[in-house]
Amino acid sequence: MKKSINKQIAQVHLTSKIWQTIVAVLGVTFGVSMYIFMNSFMNGVNNTQDNLAFSTLAHIRIYNEENNHSFSPVENYFDSSKTIYNIRNYKNIQYTDGIKNTAEIINLLEKQNEITGITRQLNFSVFFRSGSQKINGLVSGVEVDNENKLFGNSDKVIEGKWSELNFRKSGIILGKVLAENLGVKIDDNVNVLTSDGVSKNYVVVGFIETSIKEVDKSKAYINIAAARQLLNKNFDYATDVLINIKDRDKTDDVIKELSPVINFQIESWQVANEQLLAASELRNIVAIAVSLTILLVAGFGIYNIMNMTINEKIKEIAILKAMGFSGSDIKRIFLLQAAAIGIIGGIVGLFLGYGLSSLVNQVPFHIAGLTTLPIYYKPADFVFAVIFGIATTIIAGYLPSRKASKIDPVIIIRG
Amino acid sequence: MNKTALKVRNLIKYFYDPTTFQVLKGVSIDVTKGEFLSIIGKSGSGKSTLLYVLSTMDTDYEGELEINSNVLTGNSQNQLAAFRNEHIGFVFQFHYLLPEFTSLENVMLPALKLGKLSRKEIEDNAYESLKKLDLQDQALKKSNKLSGGQQQRVAIARALINNPSVIMGDEPTGNLDSKNSQAVQEILKELAKSFGQTIICVTHDNNFAKNSDRVIEMSDGLILN
Repeated sequence: MKKSINKQIAQVHLTSKIWQTIVAVLGVTFGVSMYIFMNSFMNGVNNTQDNLAFSTLAHIRIYNEENNHSFSPVENYFDSSKTIYNIRNYKNIQYTDGIKNTAEIINLLEKQNEITGITRQLNFSVFFRSGSQKINGLVSGVEVDNENKLFGNSDKVIEGKWSELNFRKSGIILGKVLAENLGVKIDDNVNVLTSDGVSKNYVVVGFIETSIKEVDKSKAYINIAAARQLLNKNFDYATDVLINIKDRDKTDDVIKELSPVINFQIESWQVANEQLLAASELRNIVAIAVSLTILLVAGFGIYNIMNMTINEKIKEIAILKAMGFSGSDIKRIFLLQAAAIGIIGGIVGLFLGYGLSSLVNQVPFHIAGLTTLPIYYKPADFVFAVIFGIATTIIAGYLPSRKASKIDPVIIIRG
Repeated sequence: MNKTALKVRNLIKYFYDPTTFQVLKGVSIDVTKGEFLSIIGKSGSGKSTLLYVLSTMDTDYEGELEINSNVLTGNSQNQLAAFRNEHIGFVFQFHYLLPEFTSLENVMLPALKLGKLSRKEIEDNAYESLKKLDLQDQALKKSNKLSGGQQQRVAIARALINNPSVIMGDEPTGNLDSKNSQAVQEILKELAKSFGQTIICVTHDNNFAKNSDRVIEMSDGLILN
């Protein structure tokens, strides 16, 4: 009974000055919807950025790079003695880079649940020659189908077909800009010269356009079998084993499991591309700062309105107290109002934020493979927005309500 | 009839702002149950101050206050609020209804706060006491749409809703024309006589004072007679 009378008074206060209530509710609504919109937009941007980056970047890369430390038995032997020695024309013995026996690694990897895709690459730098043109660049020998699964290359091939590499071992797919610079068309020949001086002609079967200029300018794809042949490597050889996992943020866990059993360098995308990680973190911080500021401003608005209401109703508060309402009853009446404003504002803000985001998602934006501005919804953002909205309102309502509870009825009634 | 409803002993009160000033200089009164008491005196004689101490709203005093054999001096604000709710009804000079509520809701408020009866019973009681005061037609009007006399009668109905043992009035007729004033006086007198409710009113109105059982005149913080 006692609770319901406080509720009733709060309700009458809210409904009798409906415009004031609406303004207060709009304050929260605006804050909450902005929070949702900003975060969804930032998530969209981050996702787009990541998707662009991951169109060429695998989550985890296993490779074998030439070790820098060189084995020197002479130095080791005389390490602690005072013997003076001199080795002339010191040379490292030949060291095999790349991974010779990749099947073994693939077997291990295929047992991991987390892993969603594996592909092998044989990367090497070459000179592309066509007529008088000589351009240095990179050739990736790829497992055609697996590569496509990881990076979706077939979508990026603008002329010809990605799967053509499967059937034509002498086929090559060139980066779009590279092809322009070489002045070659489909079915033309292009000559590839390796650093070992081996040269071979390939038939152009397609052009690829990624959104990364640097790649389009210098990269070409051939079948990994053809690449092994060109470099005179065994049939299991690859320079890189690339892995995608279910949750790309959990690379550390997977690497922890792999590193004891795999004897090569293992690198996560986070390590390989720290600036990518930093950029997305920074954008998140900006988004949170902006939306919290909006909520804070909304909170001040509510504080003002509650203060105003209490000043307006100071006589009524005194009367309620004279009739036997205690300080905590009065506090509860005004906190209830704040909570109602917060909850209504939060829920309306939720829908407004969703609507606003959906609307922005329709805005055309034709850069870097996008068609509209990116939006990505995370349920956690919606939950947080509403919680923050309600919490801010209640905090903003608490101070004025405490003031109201301390009003001395005698002073007000006697005037 | 000679049971004591309210007792104060040696009441002393100071105002500190702007300078220290002794408003009440040791006031002692006994009020018996069912008595209709008027307190008169010039402005500044301390009569309103006395009433607010008696009402338990003002707790900043020296001396002892007892209502219905409950010693109230030294109780917390919340205890006093609960006590007021049940035992004391108020009628002020400026009716002080909640303007956004209907007459009926205004009357119901103290009873809803007390929470001893169901909402339905309270509504019936409130309607009954509005009827007694000839206000049944105004029950569902917002209280700020009523005339001054009607508002004051609603305020009286509100003061009565919890059947308080003591009703206190601060110039209850001060803002009314003579006809309405007469009506309010009749009601209060009737209450004291028929229901045994103790009534204590501060007034400037000599007519009003004449109508009461006993008159106390105050001057400079002391009771004269």
